[in-house]
Amino acid sequence: MNNNDIRIMRRKVERISSLPTTPDVLKQILVVIEKPNISLNKISNFISNDPALTTKILKMVNSAIYGFPGRISSVSHATVLLGLNVIKGLLIGTSVFELMQKSMLGLWEHSLNCAITAKLIAQRKGLKEPEDIYAAGLLHDIGKVVLILQFPKEYEKVMNETEMEDITIFEAEKHHFPETHAGVGSWLAEKWNFPLNLVESIKYHHEPHLSKNAPLETAIVHLSDTLVRAMGFGFAGDPFVPALNPVAFEYLDLNENDIKEILEEVEDSRSVTEELSL
Amino acid sequence: MGMLKISVDKIEPGMKLRKSVTKGDMVLLNEGTELTEYMIIKIRNMDIENVYIDAPSQHSIPKEEMLAQLDMRFKNVENKPYMNLLKKLVREHIEVLYE
Repeated sequence: MNNNDIRIMRRKVERISSLPTTPDVLKQILVVIEKPNISLNKISNFISNDPALTTKILKMVNSAIYGFPGRISSVSHATVLLGLNVIKGLLIGTSVFELMQKSMLGLWEHSLNCAITAKLIAQRKGLKEPEDIYAAGLLHDIGKVVLILQFPKEYEKVMNETEMEDITIFEAEKHHFPETHAGVGSWLAEKWNFPLNLVESIKYHHEPHLSKNAPLETAIVHLSDTLVRAMGFGFAGDPFVPALNPVAFEYLDLNENDIKEILEEVEDSRSVTEELSL
Repeated sequence: MGMLKISVDKIEPGMKLRKSVTKGDMVLLNEGTELTEYMIIKIRNMDIENVYIDAPSQHSIPKEEMLAQLDMRFKNVENKPYMNLLKKLVREHIEVLYE
């Protein structure tokens, strides 16, 4: 693919909802999400009308990750507690779960653990909306799913090159596409009307020093991705831990003991992951 | 050692409880108990949704293999800033899991 083809590539990516390989439920979700002023009420009605989605959302919100006291048994309660962006992230996340399993076995486990880790770090750093970071963690690699769906042959070459050359998938993507999964994911996040901090933390999760509007959120997603890969949870296209960006790591100002505790917390939450991924 | 939260529909005899099974304030089965057919029937009749068991996957990989995989994952970034620190911390974390 030629480097001048970036606009064509973007248009192809943004047409994800009309792809024949996209599951119906994801198509419907995307139609709802792309409405610019969608209200919490409308989104919770949409979920309530679909028993499978309702089950998934309630399962998520009642899992130990969120730590809400008591059982949440209504979708409207869940949407109020979690907020629009998290609900949107969960809807996309749960509906791409099967796609992830089909296209890259282990990507779901990687993404979910990254979401959990990001939320733990966000809480530690005292961020106001740690739930929003959860959505960013869950969706940071969504670009990979779309690339596999929309450009299966080229992506197979990327996967092969990763294996043959011992390089990360991010590096190999640059050899075959004018934009990497990070950029591709951010195109979608923009199209889905996610706030700028979410868009940037997806876009720059490999180059967190470039984020202007959300350096903290982006650094958190970057570190979470690195930690989850370091621990070897799931599979994100290659077996290697990418190098930490020193600027972002220093910006987060975490000491050895912080990291140690984060690793322990992630290990404890991981049990929940296996349940949700069933 | 890993912990797995599973639905009571999926529990099988021989699985070991990681956390006690409780109903309100009452402890029905203590942690460490190995489940029997009889216990499983009882649990399923008690309106309990999930129990915590020892995760089998963690037992199946020997420690040496876990550490070898760790080396492999870090092999391209050993000399990059902070990566030695990170590797050391993950290694220590894995070692504690096997104690």
